[in-house]
Amino acid sequence: MFATVQSATLLGAQGYPVTVEVHVGIGLPAFAIVGLPDEACREARDRVRSALLSSGVGWPSTKRITVNLAPPRHRKTGSGLDLAIAVGMLVACEEVSPDAVRDFAFVGELGLDGSIRPVPGVAPMVGVFGAVDAVVPVASVDEARVAALGEVRCVEGLSDLIEVLCGRAPWPDIQPPAPVTDDSPVPDLAEVRGQPMARLALEVAAAGGHHALFVGPPGAGKTMLAQRLPGLLPPLDRRLSLEATMVHSAAGVPLPPGGLVRRATFRSPHHTSSVVALVGGGSSALRPGEISLAHGGVLFMDELGEFPVGVLDALREPLETGVINVARANVHVELPARFLLVAATNPCPCGGGPPGECECDDGRRHRYLRRLSGPLLDRFDLRVTVQRPDIDELLAGEGGEPSALVAARVQRARRIATERGGVLNAEMSRPQLDSFAPVTAAAGRLLRDELERQRLTGRGYHRIRRVARTLADLETDPPDLVDVGHVQLALSMRSRVRASFPNGRVA
Amino acid sequence: MTDVPDRGYVAALAGFRGMTPRRLRFLLDHLGPRHAYEVASGAAAPTPIVARLFTDELRTWWRQSASERSPAMCWERCNEVGVDVVTADDPHFPALLRVDPSPPTVLFVRGDLAVLDGRRVGIVGTRNATLAGRQTATALGFDLAAAGVAVVSGLARGIDGAAHRGALAAGEGDNVGVGRPVAVVGNGADQPYPKQHAELWSAVCAGGLLMSEWPPGTPPEAFRFPMRNRILAALCEVLVVVESRERGGSLLTVREALDRSVEVMAVPGSPRNRAAAGTNGLLRDGAAPVTSADDVLTSLGLDTRRQGAAVFDPRPALRGVDRAVVEQCRSDPRTLDDVASSFGLALCEAAMTLARLERAGWLREVGGWFEAIWSRSELR
Repeated sequence: MFATVQSATLLGAQGYPVTVEVHVGIGLPAFAIVGLPDEACREARDRVRSALLSSGVGWPSTKRITVNLAPPRHRKTGSGLDLAIAVGMLVACEEVSPDAVRDFAFVGELGLDGSIRPVPGVAPMVGVFGAVDAVVPVASVDEARVAALGEVRCVEGLSDLIEVLCGRAPWPDIQPPAPVTDDSPVPDLAEVRGQPMARLALEVAAAGGHHALFVGPPGAGKTMLAQRLPGLLPPLDRRLSLEATMVHSAAGVPLPPGGLVRRATFRSPHHTSSVVALVGGGSSALRPGEISLAHGGVLFMDELGEFPVGVLDALREPLETGVINVARANVHVELPARFLLVAATNPCPCGGGPPGECECDDGRRHRYLRRLSGPLLDRFDLRVTVQRPDIDELLAGEGGEPSALVAARVQRARRIATERGGVLNAEMSRPQLDSFAPVTAAAGRLLRDELERQRLTGRGYHRIRRVARTLADLETDPPDLVDVGHVQLALSMRSRVRASFPNGRVA
Repeated sequence: MTDVPDRGYVAALAGFRGMTPRRLRFLLDHLGPRHAYEVASGAAAPTPIVARLFTDELRTWWRQSASERSPAMCWERCNEVGVDVVTADDPHFPALLRVDPSPPTVLFVRGDLAVLDGRRVGIVGTRNATLAGRQTATALGFDLAAAGVAVVSGLARGIDGAAHRGALAAGEGDNVGVGRPVAVVGNGADQPYPKQHAELWSAVCAGGLLMSEWPPGTPPEAFRFPMRNRILAALCEVLVVVESRERGGSLLTVREALDRSVEVMAVPGSPRNRAAAGTNGLLRDGAAPVTSADDVLTSLGLDTRRQGAAVFDPRPALRGVDRAVVEQCRSDPRTLDDVASSFGLALCEAAMTLARLERAGWLREVGGWFEAIWSRSELR
C-alpha cells in the first residue's frame, strides 16, 4: 500500500533528487499530489491514471491515493516525474515488488497510451541519481549516458516496463554509444575573401579568449566572420563539455550525436530577445538562457546597439565571472556562462562606409553609439573595423587560409598561455601580466606615448598588453618579450568606436 | 627776426585767440605767412578780401595775441620741445588730411610721420571706462600692433590710453614689423594731458607719432577735443569703439568717421553696462562687432590665417614606403588591410607604418579609414 521511488527534478541546469512516495489507502476516493508540484507536475494525475489503464493495469478507483514529492521545499517542475509516480502506483498496488524498483531511478513523461516520452534536462537529473541504474526515455539514452554513474536503461512504454520489473522480460538492448565523431560541417575561414585584419582578430580572439567587436557597414561580412570563430576554437575539455551538455539538456536544446557537447557552440540571439531569454530564468524552472547555452563557445550579438540596455548590462557579470546568478524570491541558481562574446555593430544608423559616404550628422551618430556604454565597450579587447571587401577581392578565385591551419596555431598559442599562467591571456591578472608579458623598450615607449596623448586609459593599457601578448604567442617562435609591432597591432585592433568625439579617447 | 622761417609765423598765428583752421587757411592762402601775421597783428592793412574776415572782436583779440606771440618766440618754443611744424604746402603733410573735407591747416608733430604710411586702426572710447573695457582696449591695441597695424587714438583717460598702452607693449623688445602708435591730441603737443599720461606721451612720441592742430602751450579746452576727433577719424581705416556711453564723445568721432566713409566697428558690451550703451547702440545700428583683433584684421583684409605663402610644415619629410602610403591615401581613404595588401606588408608592419604617419600628422584615422592630411601650402 506504500511505495517509494527515486527520481529527480530540474532547477536551472542542476538536477535535484526527489523521492516519490505513493500511498494507496482507505478513505474517500481521491488522487492528490503534494510536495510543491507546479501545474505541469500536478497534471501527472491524469496522465498516470490513463497510462496505467492503457497499459492493462487496473486503477484503484475506490482508494484514496496520496503522492508526496520529497523534499517538499523545492518546487517540482515539469512532467519528468510522471514515470516515477506511475512506478510508485504499481508498487503500491502490489503489481510490482518493492525490491524490483529499489536500485532504479526513473525519469520520463507519460503519454496517455502508456508511452514514455523524453523531457528536457535528463542529463543533469541522471547526474544526481548516484550509483543506481537510471531508467529514461529511449530518445534520452545518449544524454543520460553522458552523466550517469550507474547503468542506463530504457523502455518504449509503461507496459514493457511492467514486464521487465515483474521479471517476465529482460531489459531491452540499447544501442552502443554512437560514434562520437561529429563531422557536421562548420563554416570555414577559407570562404572569407580578403579582410586580413578581421581574420587576425578572429585568430587572436580564439587564441587569447579576447572578446571582439566588429564595427562596419552592412555587407562587410561581420556575421560571416563571427560564424567562423567556433571553428577556430579547440574542442571543449571534459569539464566544460559536461557543463555545456547539462545546460543544453536542461534548456531542451537538441544535443549533438553522442549526447556530449564537444565542440564550441555558436549562439546568436536576436536583438529583440528579452533579458530572461538571454541570461536565463523564468517563472519556476529557471531555464538557462542564451549566454549559458554559449558556455564554452561563442555568443554572437549582431546589432549590439539594438539590444535593450538591460540585456547589455546583464552581460557584465558573466563576462567578468564566467557564471550568471539567477535569483527569484525563493530560489537561486548559478548557471555556467563562460563564453567568448563577439558583437557586431554598424558605425552609424545609415551603415557608414568610407569617409564621405555616411549621411548621418554628428548628433545622430552620437546618439546611436551612445547606446554602447563605456563599461561595455571596455569589455571588448578587440574592436576591429571591417569594411566591405573590394570587388576584385570578392571575385578573386582563392580564399584565405583554411580554418584548420589557423586552429592549429590557435591551439598552440592557447597551450603556451595555459602552461605559462594556467589561464588564457585575456584572463591574466595584473601581476601575471607583468611577469608573463614584459615589453621591449620600444614597445614601452609606444605605450607611454599613447598614454600621454590620452588615447589610452589605464584600463585600456592593460588590455592592450594582453592582446599584444596573444599576438606574440601566435608567432611561429613566440618571443618572451612583447615587441613594439605586437603592441601597435593591438592598438590598431582597438579602434575608437566613438571617433566623433574630440581627440577620440580609447576607453 | 630774419632767421625765423615761414613756419614760425604759422606757429605764431595758429595760437591766436579765436583762430580756427579755416581762418588760418584763409589768411595763409591769400596773404602768405609773413604778410598774414602782419595783417593779423594789425601792423599791415588787410586786403579787401581778407578784410571781410575781421570783426571788431577778432581784431582786438588778435592784436593782443600778437603782442604775446612773436614768431621768433613761438618758433623757438617749437624747437625747444621738439615739435615740427608741418604746413599744408609741406610735402610731408599727410596726404590723408590734404584731401579731407575739413583739413587742418597746420600740424604740430612729434615723432615720425612715416607711421601713417602703414595700416591704421583707431581705437576710441569713453574716459570713464570699466576695467573690462580698458583690458579689452589694451588687448586689441596689443594684438593689432603685433599684426603690424598702427593704433590711432587720442591719449585721453580710459579707453584711449589703454589702447596705446597695449600697442606700446607689443613694441617692447623685438619690434620689427610691429605697428607704431599714433596719437592725435587736442592741446599743445608739449603738455601731457591728462597729467598721469605723461610717460605714455613721451613713449608715443619716441615710438610713434603724436600730432596736434595747436601750437605748443595750448591748454586743453573743451571745444578743441571735438575738432581733434575729426583728424583722428580722418587718419583711421577702421574705427573701433570699445566702450561709449549713450551720448559719449566717442560717438562724435564715430560721426566724423562715417562722414569720411571710415568703417566703424564696436565691441559688444553687456546691456547692463551703461558704459557700453553707446557701443551697443552702434551695433544695433549696423556696426560690425569686434570680439577679437581678428575681426578687425579681417575687415582690413589682413587676416593672414588662410594664406600659406611661407607656411612651415613641421612634419618630418616622407621617404620610401611612407611617401607611397601617403600618396595612396591622398587619392582615396585606405584601410589598414588595403595598405598591407597593396604594399605587400605584414599587418604588423602596415600598422606600424600607418601609426607612425598618423603620429607625425600625415594621416588621420576615422572609423578604420586613413585619410591624408594636406599641408597648408598644398591646399592653395
